[in-house]
Amino acid sequence: MGIEITEDHPAPDCVRLRISGDINIHTSPELRERLKPLLSDEYKEIRIALDDVRFIDSSGIATLVEGLQWSRSSGGRFVLSGLANTVRDVFVLAKLDTVFDIEDNAAA
Amino acid sequence: VHVLQSIVEVLGARVGLDEIATNRLALAVDELYANIAKHGYHGKPGPVEFEAHIHRESGGIAQLHFEFRDHAPAIKDKEILNGRDINDVAPGGLGMHLICSVMDEVQHEALPDGNRWHLVANIKTEALYEHGH
Repeated sequence: MGIEITEDHPAPDCVRLRISGDINIHTSPELRERLKPLLSDEYKEIRIALDDVRFIDSSGIATLVEGLQWSRSSGGRFVLSGLANTVRDVFVLAKLDTVFDIEDNAAA
Repeated sequence: VHVLQSIVEVLGARVGLDEIATNRLALAVDELYANIAKHGYHGKPGPVEFEAHIHRESGGIAQLHFEFRDHAPAIKDKEILNGRDINDVAPGGLGMHLICSVMDEVQHEALPDGNRWHLVANIKTEALYEHGH
């Protein structure tokens, strides 16, 4: 089982990735491949919609930490939204729930 | 990975765990499998044997046991079993921390031809079914 990733642009300087499926050691490279080119000066805001993700492991978290680091170095926003309880719990276990910019609603 | 998750979900349901608790166990099993694949076999195919069972204790306590056996080079450096400092916000090294934060026991045994990993979760439950595999 893979993941599906779609990209759209809610605003001119904002890009959003919508992810569907489990993010694990097999699928996180695909997410990283899609995310990496976005980590540039072209965008001021990168949004990751996780509404259709029920499982994420440390490989997925690590990929998203790269976005967090981009945010810190560029001053842009890196926003996660639509976290299921199981996904949010992994961020809590990793003590990253207060480090990431996390929105609860699906209107990312 | 999905097969392992399914096994954990079945066992979690049998001892009455909720979605979050079951997902935590699935996470630990996923992380250990990923560590073996990434660090043991360096991303190349290799055999991994997996066994899971419920051990029923008295007083409404159950133990979920998960055992992995790999044939990768035996790990001698116990430091890598500790994971990195959780307060460092860095892309990698979270896996062992997550495993240890979820499981009550994490045991590793270096063998002449690989490694044996034993994870144990203590479950206090009223909804425990009879002993099963």
